[in-house]
Amino acid sequence: MIKNFIISGSGGQGILSIGTVLANIFMLNDLFVSYCPCYGAEMRGGAVNCEINMSNEELLSLQNEKADYVIALNQTSLDKFINKVKKNGTIIVNSSLAKIEKTRNDIKYIFAPLTQEALKLGNIKIANSIALGILSKITDNFSIEKVKKAYEKILKNKTELIQKNIEAYLFGYNYLQERIQ
Amino acid sequence: MQIFSTPKSIKKDSSFSFCPGCDHGIAVKLVAQIIDEMNLQDKTIAIASSGCSVTLYNFLDVDCIESPHGRACAVATGVKRAHKANGKEMFVFTYQGDGDFASIGLSESLHSALRGENITAICINNTNYGMTGGQLGPTTVLGQITTTSPMGRNIEYHGFPIKTAEHVALCEGSAFSARVALYDIKNIINAKKQIKKAFECQLKGYGFSFVEILSNCPTNWKLSPLDSHKKIENELSKIYPIKVFKDITND
Amino acid sequence: MKEKTLLKGNIAIAKAALNCGCSCYFGYPITPQTEIGEYLSFEMQKNNLAYVCAESEIGAINMALGAASVGAKVMTSSSSCAVSLMQETLSYACSDELPIVLVNVMRAGPGQGYIFPSQGDYNQTTIGGGNGDYHIISLSPSSVQECVDMTYKAFYLAQKYKNPTILLVDGLLGQTAEPCILFDNPYKEIDNSSWALTGAKNRPSRKIHSLEPSQNKLNKHILNLKNKYDLIEKNETDYEKYMCDDAEIILTAFGSLARAVKAVVNSFREKGLKAGLFRPKTLYPFPYDALKKIASQAKAIIDIEMNLGQMLRDVKLGVLSDSKVYFIGKPTGNWLKKEEIIDSVENILKENYANI
Repeated sequence: MIKNFIISGSGGQGILSIGTVLANIFMLNDLFVSYCPCYGAEMRGGAVNCEINMSNEELLSLQNEKADYVIALNQTSLDKFINKVKKNGTIIVNSSLAKIEKTRNDIKYIFAPLTQEALKLGNIKIANSIALGILSKITDNFSIEKVKKAYEKILKNKTELIQKNIEAYLFGYNYLQERIQ
Repeated sequence: MQIFSTPKSIKKDSSFSFCPGCDHGIAVKLVAQIIDEMNLQDKTIAIASSGCSVTLYNFLDVDCIESPHGRACAVATGVKRAHKANGKEMFVFTYQGDGDFASIGLSESLHSALRGENITAICINNTNYGMTGGQLGPTTVLGQITTTSPMGRNIEYHGFPIKTAEHVALCEGSAFSARVALYDIKNIINAKKQIKKAFECQLKGYGFSFVEILSNCPTNWKLSPLDSHKKIENELSKIYPIKVFKDITND
Repeated sequence: MKEKTLLKGNIAIAKAALNCGCSCYFGYPITPQTEIGEYLSFEMQKNNLAYVCAESEIGAINMALGAASVGAKVMTSSSSCAVSLMQETLSYACSDELPIVLVNVMRAGPGQGYIFPSQGDYNQTTIGGGNGDYHIISLSPSSVQECVDMTYKAFYLAQKYKNPTILLVDGLLGQTAEPCILFDNPYKEIDNSSWALTGAKNRPSRKIHSLEPSQNKLNKHILNLKNKYDLIEKNETDYEKYMCDDAEIILTAFGSLARAVKAVVNSFREKGLKAGLFRPKTLYPFPYDALKKIASQAKAIIDIEMNLGQMLRDVKLGVLSDSKVYFIGKPTGNWLKKEEIIDSVENILKENYANI
């Protein structure tokens, strides 16, 4: 079982942070994982993205053409990565900063106003963690302890910030279910 | 009666391979005498460079490494810092020509001075590339004929020479910068005094110390040793003043 | 057992260097290896170790030469076009017999090229741009874990053979984070008290130099170096072979690209095609003999690289017949994907081997 992820957005949206959190979650669950931040011409300028690959056996491909799951936190990254979603794959779109528009009918779209929801939770910077929560819900059922540990690895001893992010993550995790109900 | 003898820090089985009448021999002897007087022989690591100065390790009886052309100050930085990381203060100096220090190695040299690297650099300035047969170098003076400036150095065609000691003095990290000469006894005594001061600066941890030795090159200048010294006295020392440009121990 | 950490290749190298006692680092920034110097700048200053933000790569490698001459464990890191600047001193260090560890995290060339990932420095590393009869030991990691293991090994081999050692890292691997374990350094310390420049106290003075005006002495010195290189070739050649024993098609690759090639081998095996992977872990010394043995029974050898065929030359030398050696590669950019490689291999087989 191999799964590929792309997380994308603009500088300041915490793209690389939740990328590393996700990679750490996989590692803490004893899965094989690679994490590669955007690398190349995009390094300078607004766009940021990273690629995460996960497997339950030795991971052989570090760079992949397409991903099973894509998170796009703004319009630019939606435009850039929509065609990188594999057939039957899923894209999570931040509808606060991107149009609700389905240009493909062979993939699954999840639109959520992540920035607005983050503001409601009291911190615009945790939109990324809401997205990560949604992603977790539709991919794997990881124990919250390990998620917390992954956040601690990245945010070290910023206790308050960790708490806020976990809150956002859990909000995201329950987001779809609540909407469906 | 004064008995002259070979300094302890000169290898017993060696003889200088410099051209007859060349100031390199005097310079190496002065360095060896100071190493003896300051009791530095077993604490010294010398950095030889490319050019006539390269064979230093054949004469000086101290640990010595030869550096690639121009890189002596960088090698010295590595030697000094590596020992320091190991908790040891060693005495580290480079012995270079003007081509090595001020042309190919100007970047390494000036950056060591700018960092205030606690090393000493001795630069023999003989206004040409001696070992390769006397070509135009960074310090070749205006009008000087060399094998690559057959009509004399010319501002429009070749550009200006560099005044090394003055440049080093301008670096905030340098503690000491002087130009000395070896054309008579008075100057030799002064040269020894200034080299000693430069060494002391390092021992006290003051930063980069530098002595430019205005030297002759009788072979390539095609002059007798005596006439070459007269040239330094009457012409070159007017262009390259014999002077201490910076000495923070005086401030 | 130490716990797993998610580390970028660059950081893993820096941590491993500190772990095995590297006390000196000199460097100049260049993407994509800058994190190594950034990480060490804090750790080394904190621990009173030697760290200089050198004025240039030329300055950096020469500081490394100086530090190596006193017996310190020294490392510098750089990338491709800037490693070009270090070639002169690498040749000196070989003649001086000084242990320097140089990490080259490759970017695309020639010239300034760009920071895209590439494997374009195979020739620079194994053949080199310095003068004279010399070799530089070269290790090629394919994962972040191997970045750790091979950093330890690079220091060990450099000290053991008193020779510069290059850790040749794909730009992609330097930037990619994977879980890895920072084991303790498994190698024994090498005693360098017989040659290091520590001051001539209670012993004769020492000189380290490459200049040698005596023809006889210079010949003898170069022949001694050659004997050492023979020994390195005999003792230190290292490679990975995967499903090679019965393979009819051998795929060769180095660095992290070899992992994608391994996935290709798995795919072919599922389809019933007997494919195998041969990956040199030491680029110098190159495992010619091992490859020759494996290749003798294979019908085709296909070399795959992120360059236009640099290791290909060594592969041909190993196989000793270019009639069955083929090449797949591209100069830079996204790593060749498993699917692209499969297509290319199948095309080669279709064109040349009707019956495979």
